[in-house]
Amino acid sequence: MSQNVFSWMGRSVAFRDGESIAAALEHVGIRCFGTDDQGLPRRYFCGIGACQNCLVLVDGRTVEACLMPASAGLVVRALEVPHGQA
Amino acid sequence: MAKHDVIIVGGGPAGMAAAGVLAGHGLLVGVIEQRQKPGGAIYRQPIAGLAPVARSRAASRRFQSLLTNLDRPGVSFLASRVFLGIDADGYVLCEDRTCNVVERLKARAVILATGAVEKVMPRPGWELDGVSTAGGLQVMMKETARPPAGRVLLAGSGPLLVAVAAQMASLGNPPVAIIEAGDPIGHIADGLGLLAHPALLAEAFSYMFQVQKSPTRWIRASNLAAIERKDGSLQCTVVRRDGKVERLEVDRVGLHDGIAPNNFGLPAARDTNGIMPLILHAGDCREALGAVAAGADGARAGLAALAFVGKTFQDGGPVGRALEQQRHAQTLLARLFAPVRPQRLGNLPDNTLLCRCEGRTVGDLRRLVERDDALTGREVKHNGRFAMGSCQGRFCAAATAALMSELRPGDPPAAASDITGQRWPVRPVSIAALIHAASDQTPIEK
Repeated sequence: MSQNVFSWMGRSVAFRDGESIAAALEHVGIRCFGTDDQGLPRRYFCGIGACQNCLVLVDGRTVEACLMPASAGLVVRALEVPHGQA
Repeated sequence: MAKHDVIIVGGGPAGMAAAGVLAGHGLLVGVIEQRQKPGGAIYRQPIAGLAPVARSRAASRRFQSLLTNLDRPGVSFLASRVFLGIDADGYVLCEDRTCNVVERLKARAVILATGAVEKVMPRPGWELDGVSTAGGLQVMMKETARPPAGRVLLAGSGPLLVAVAAQMASLGNPPVAIIEAGDPIGHIADGLGLLAHPALLAEAFSYMFQVQKSPTRWIRASNLAAIERKDGSLQCTVVRRDGKVERLEVDRVGLHDGIAPNNFGLPAARDTNGIMPLILHAGDCREALGAVAAGADGARAGLAALAFVGKTFQDGGPVGRALEQQRHAQTLLARLFAPVRPQRLGNLPDNTLLCRCEGRTVGDLRRLVERDDALTGREVKHNGRFAMGSCQGRFCAAATAALMSELRPGDPPAAASDITGQRWPVRPVSIAALIHAASDQTPIEK
């Protein structure tokens, strides 16, 4: 049971079964999920998959952090910003 | 390929009610839901082992009764699937998020019950991290049974702000304040009208009581004019009723200015033409009247689909009256919470973001629209990239249309639907997942 963690940018984040990635990140005080190609912060916003502000990379796939259930061992990262726009 | 008579998109109250009607008459029903569990945003379920966040007994009963619909024989609950649209061959496309595969499903009728989205008025700083919709904070609370941490400010307009504040208080972290643009206490007549809706009134009083006994300030007839990031906090500028400016320093902001149908890009309701299925809209995505109306409207859509497939049934009762009642209640609430000083979008600073996804500002739209040759909504999208981004206009099209109309008062008013258009996919999908669907060798059913 102690293995209920995923990794966010190399940091271990604990979660409870059934929790979304966004909820787990919120609980440890991570509210900025990187920067988008406009230079604006990615963040949890609508909570229902509508706004697409909380997109993250989970094991290489782009998903909404508010919809994606956390599971043990996931590697979660901020989306990469295209070169020259960071 | 699974066989369904009817596919329902959305596992909230409208979808669950429709499923109950259809399965009760022996039809095979597939209910597509993007989350793992049914309920929608309104009945968002807590994660395993937690008690649901306080809600009225009537609401709990409604949810429990709706849930039993999904246990009926003939209902398949298709979880973790994001609806993408209906293609030209009449197939319902959805992405199974557990394996990133796009599925193509065929049915004689499709009921779209995708619920509502919150309206969020643009204001400087609404794009910052730490700023969410109030409903977004609420669904997370319902899921985790934890309130948002730190100093929280709720702002905008509507009864939902009070509900969220009450739920936060019951979980141990009441918000610092609610900045409410309306002044519901100043509308005695409309308030008395709510006496015709005792259940709603009881719920409102219980939330108000909870907020009243908490340290939360309910600052009415006031606007949150701007949010700035300052030393890790969010600095909020509030303009009070008397024009005085107050600054509040918080960690989290929840914005909410009402709800609107989540019908962006959805195929229109239509009859079948032999290729396309019958398409019905139900619940908040047809008319945003809340959970009670959504249940009634879902049942109505279920009956319409039954009639279409030629099933005989006994009319379930006065669905129309239930909708009428809820419409009356929502009209009263809208009047109660009407902003005292409605904000003109044209007064926002030019660098205020309108379209968050594409980074388009009030000034960008002003320059586009103030040319001699008036642009249509579609041109504003294609030339200006408004509503072009990944939210597909859900959080900017209405404000963009409103500002277009403000800036060109002589022209016919702009409509959000002109800007967004109608096409699939209604939600972003990876090309890899689509290619999988295209290479699916299943022969097309006739």
